[in-house]
Amino acid sequence: MALNTFRESIRDKVLVTLVIFAVLVMGSARVIQPLALGEDAKIVKDLGLSAITLFCVLISILVGGRIVYREVEKRTIYIMLAKPVRRWEFILGKYFGLMAVLVVSLVVMTAAFYVILLVLGIGAPLYLLLAVLMTLFQLAILTAVAVLFSTFSTPITGALFTFAVYFVGHLTRDLKLLAAMSPSPVVKAASYLFYYVLPNLSNFNIRPEVVYGAPLDPYALLLSGLYALVYTATLLLISAAIFNRKEF
Amino acid sequence: MLSFPEPVVSVTRLSKVYRSGLRMKRVQALSDISLEVEKGEIFGFLGPNGAGKTTLIKILMGLTEPTSGTALVFGRTPRDAAAKARLGFLPESPYFYDHLTAREFLSLAARLSAVPKSEAAGRVTGLLRLLRMERVADVQMRGFSRGMLQRMGITQALVADPELVVLDEPMGGLDPIGRKEFRDIIVDLRDRGKTVFFSTHILSDVEMICDRVGIVIEGRMVEAGRLSEILTGDVESIEVTVKGVTGKTQKILERVSQHTIKSGSELMLTVKSDEEVDKIMAICREVGGIRVVGIVPHRRTLEDYFMAHVAKAGRAS
Repeated sequence: MALNTFRESIRDKVLVTLVIFAVLVMGSARVIQPLALGEDAKIVKDLGLSAITLFCVLISILVGGRIVYREVEKRTIYIMLAKPVRRWEFILGKYFGLMAVLVVSLVVMTAAFYVILLVLGIGAPLYLLLAVLMTLFQLAILTAVAVLFSTFSTPITGALFTFAVYFVGHLTRDLKLLAAMSPSPVVKAASYLFYYVLPNLSNFNIRPEVVYGAPLDPYALLLSGLYALVYTATLLLISAAIFNRKEF
Repeated sequence: MLSFPEPVVSVTRLSKVYRSGLRMKRVQALSDISLEVEKGEIFGFLGPNGAGKTTLIKILMGLTEPTSGTALVFGRTPRDAAAKARLGFLPESPYFYDHLTAREFLSLAARLSAVPKSEAAGRVTGLLRLLRMERVADVQMRGFSRGMLQRMGITQALVADPELVVLDEPMGGLDPIGRKEFRDIIVDLRDRGKTVFFSTHILSDVEMICDRVGIVIEGRMVEAGRLSEILTGDVESIEVTVKGVTGKTQKILERVSQHTIKSGSELMLTVKSDEEVDKIMAICREVGGIRVVGIVPHRRTLEDYFMAHVAKAGRAS
């Protein structure tokens, strides 16, 4: 099941287009390099890492948002679920298939990123990979969100919701601040609710630290990894429970 | 002690109600359906479009839950993986993954059905050859015709060599050659001891190959049993064709028969019983110069039966 999802996405034109586009964006750093007075190395690194994250997030949302829906719509689900496959296995297969796609995309884009750094004569230190690893953790959560929405909504709604979660997920610190400062109890309650329910994705953004060489707390990184694991597992459990009750 | 073999499929007092639209309008898809399919038989599930055939099949495949009643496959609930491991399913108008080639898709089906890895490749190749799909084995299924998709559908259903094969409208959209091919496959499956459950609205398919049928109309099972019991074999009418009849004799003959058709020099008389045939023969002998060119008894066909039931259901509602 996972292999099939992998093949499906790899042979999808959307994916190939996105990966090529990401590489092009990273390459465009060459154009802005002369404009960035002395800060060029940092800008190229920042742009490259941002492009990798952005395009992988797009793949996760666009492909993930229709991953289950498509099987239902095209009725391939009838054939799949008539095989001795349990429904939760189906959901896991879909999820890990897409994660495999994202890992391959990440590897391809990162390799291209390092090639560009070397060609431009900027140092290509290995610690930049930490930012890529954190992107992967973030993608694990985001893809689980996309799969969850895909079990009960249409691709467009699913993609919009997933994007909303991604967006708000990066603002959770502000949500907490809002909750603390708001005089209205309704706003306070809602902000706290969102703060605790939505994934805290800003923790996974260590791009500034990596690019500007600020110190990183290894425990914080480890904790973020653990957080991603637990959050993803919970979402997949909920997805499997919804999918289990579904009638076709 | 006598032991009764467990039925392969057992459905007891099954009902299904769908709720649709904003006002949650009730749609009764199945009402109080009961049936059993025994090992080694071909069971035809017959009914007009929208009678509830696909709903029952979906319940048997664990895709939908019944509102009430029970459905068991090999004595287990349909969602049980152990039951699904023993069956193959071809949905109506099947659709497959465009991006896969025929061979890749069948390998996926084999893997999901837990076919041992060592056997999978051989079995896939064998089935592709059997269904004459070798030529397109390594082509992505994007451009497959209706007939090819249907053949892929049966191939994936058979890949694990299942004991029960469930086919939803397998002959739908096939040309006469394709239909014949499917009938042969179904009969061959039974000859190898498999059980086949298939739905159709094409009566001739059922008449030719089914051991037992269930007739469903508007979600209700109106009849289930052996074809030979449903169609008792009684002669419904007899057609007697005679030649060389003159105007006066024609009038006499018309009085004896229910229905007459004059075609050129031939007169076709429809009568109900053997006695009436004898009467016609006697008249012909008496008058002289008349030749009897044909006597054809008409038995009740499944079509007559089916149409009578549909008409009855129509009147009732």
